[in-house]
Amino acid sequence: MRVGFIGLGVMGAPMARHLLAAGHEVAVWARRPAAAAALVEAGAMPCATPAALAARSEVVISIVTASADVEALVLGADGLAAGFASGCIHVDMSTIAPETARQLAAHYLQRGVGWLDAPVSGGEQGARDATLAIMVGGEAADLARVQPLFDVLGKRTVHVGPAGAGQVAKACNQMVLVAAIQAVAEAMRLAAAHGVDLAAVRHALMGGSAASKALDIMGQRMVERDFSAGIQARLHHKDFAILMHEACVRGLPLPIAAQVWQQLNALMACGWGQDDTASLLRVLERTSP
Amino acid sequence: MEVGFIGLGLMGRPMALNLIKAGHTVHVWARRRESMQPLLEAGAGDCSSPADVARKAAITISMVADAPDVEQVTLGEQGVAAAAAQGHVHVDMSTIAPAAAQSIAVRLAGRGVSMLDAPVSGGEVGAIAGSLTIMVGGEQAAFDRVLPAFQAMGKSVTRIGDAGAGQVAKACNQILTGVGVAAVAEALNFATRSGVDAGKVREALLGGFAYSRILENHGQRMLDRNFRPGFKAWMHQKDMRIVMEEAHRLGLALPSAAATAQMFNAMVGSGLGEDDSIAMLKLLERMSGGEGE
Repeated sequence: MRVGFIGLGVMGAPMARHLLAAGHEVAVWARRPAAAAALVEAGAMPCATPAALAARSEVVISIVTASADVEALVLGADGLAAGFASGCIHVDMSTIAPETARQLAAHYLQRGVGWLDAPVSGGEQGARDATLAIMVGGEAADLARVQPLFDVLGKRTVHVGPAGAGQVAKACNQMVLVAAIQAVAEAMRLAAAHGVDLAAVRHALMGGSAASKALDIMGQRMVERDFSAGIQARLHHKDFAILMHEACVRGLPLPIAAQVWQQLNALMACGWGQDDTASLLRVLERTSP
Repeated sequence: MEVGFIGLGLMGRPMALNLIKAGHTVHVWARRRESMQPLLEAGAGDCSSPADVARKAAITISMVADAPDVEQVTLGEQGVAAAAAQGHVHVDMSTIAPAAAQSIAVRLAGRGVSMLDAPVSGGEVGAIAGSLTIMVGGEQAAFDRVLPAFQAMGKSVTRIGDAGAGQVAKACNQILTGVGVAAVAEALNFATRSGVDAGKVREALLGGFAYSRILENHGQRMLDRNFRPGFKAWMHQKDMRIVMEEAHRLGLALPSAAATAQMFNAMVGSGLGEDDSIAMLKLLERMSGGEGE
């Protein structure tokens, strides 16, 4: 398939490589051409603008940082919308506001262009191992066409509902995941306060009902005090602003998420935004020596 | 003094009336024409747009709902800046985010208009009595020019600092009043559920270290189950959203305010948004299995 790819960061770069390796014709665009150099060397075709990329692609995949980035990519000068032919599909795998996803889907619909919001869970490791969990919002027919690409990138794709639904699922994912990381951090502090071996506690818990990905992966990082990212905490912090805003607009109380958000604010203030979210442990340590 | 007034809702109307009472010449505009009527009857000048208001008065005041409304009436096509003469001062007395106030101030300055952010505390009662607390951000010279108008609307007027500083003070005020209402509601509900007369508890505590205006006034209204606004819960929810978004931007943990903000979300989501924010008590009663009516 002729696939365009935008966003060659820690997630995007390995994803684009998997598509190349699977035999797809991959074209790339990056704001800084240097960022695309490694992919071009691996066989991807460079394009001068998002519009040019869209014009030569059946499907364009984007994975960038924020709602505003995706909007600019689609609607800006020489943006994707200016290049797409009718019948093409934009698959945005970034984590953005559900409302932005719905608006962009409606914009494309008028031009006969398909839209899928398809954020992922699994982090850098999942992107490298092609084991991402992909949650999709959009039309089933569009998903069916793109499914072969998702099969290359992840091991599980779920069609959650119409446009925006993938982002809703991702917001739920972030809320559960970061709350779980906070719970693991608090458990580690409790164990430490008793002078009990953290590794042994984690090991014991992994055999029981409290076992989780957060305990497994983040718990291990906490035990080893390895706070290098994984997933940079600033990205979780960004996601919390989106989901807490939605909760406010909908008159929905999220008491635990609200507290986790404050811990993330504190983490940012301590300058650990570029570190792993396991740093929530260090936030607790600041208030309980 | 010639003063323009934009936005004549629950707060704006009595504030503009107090300006007239103090002898100022007031020119008004509001989105809904019928809300202008009481002011026109009291002798205010009738304007067709915010720009028209700015044409007639060198000092204009806005009292509207949120930042997009402030942008609209100041920087919009028919906004204040479209007709303001050099040296014009625009005073926004709405509650909006400090960052939004700063951004609007910068853009107005680019068009020769000096802006003050001057949010208020005291509610509708304070607006009618002319006893508002006014917290001001902006240049000293502009503040000095507007001071007589402020004094007609409020009894405590403080210049906090530069642009945005008034909104920072207001955000602090909303943290204290939001968490304070929740604390008083929790305490009175605690007393009731413990089988103790909550009115007696309030009376006793008023003499001690836990005394607060909120315990005194809001506490009494909770005991009377008088949930008429006052200050509507959905407005406090909006103000808490501003506080929490600002905390996010600053990287600042506000755990108590965060918990309270979720309570306001629950109030709005469960149909208590149009009640006074003291209906927090009803929410607490419902959470713990009561009727909360």
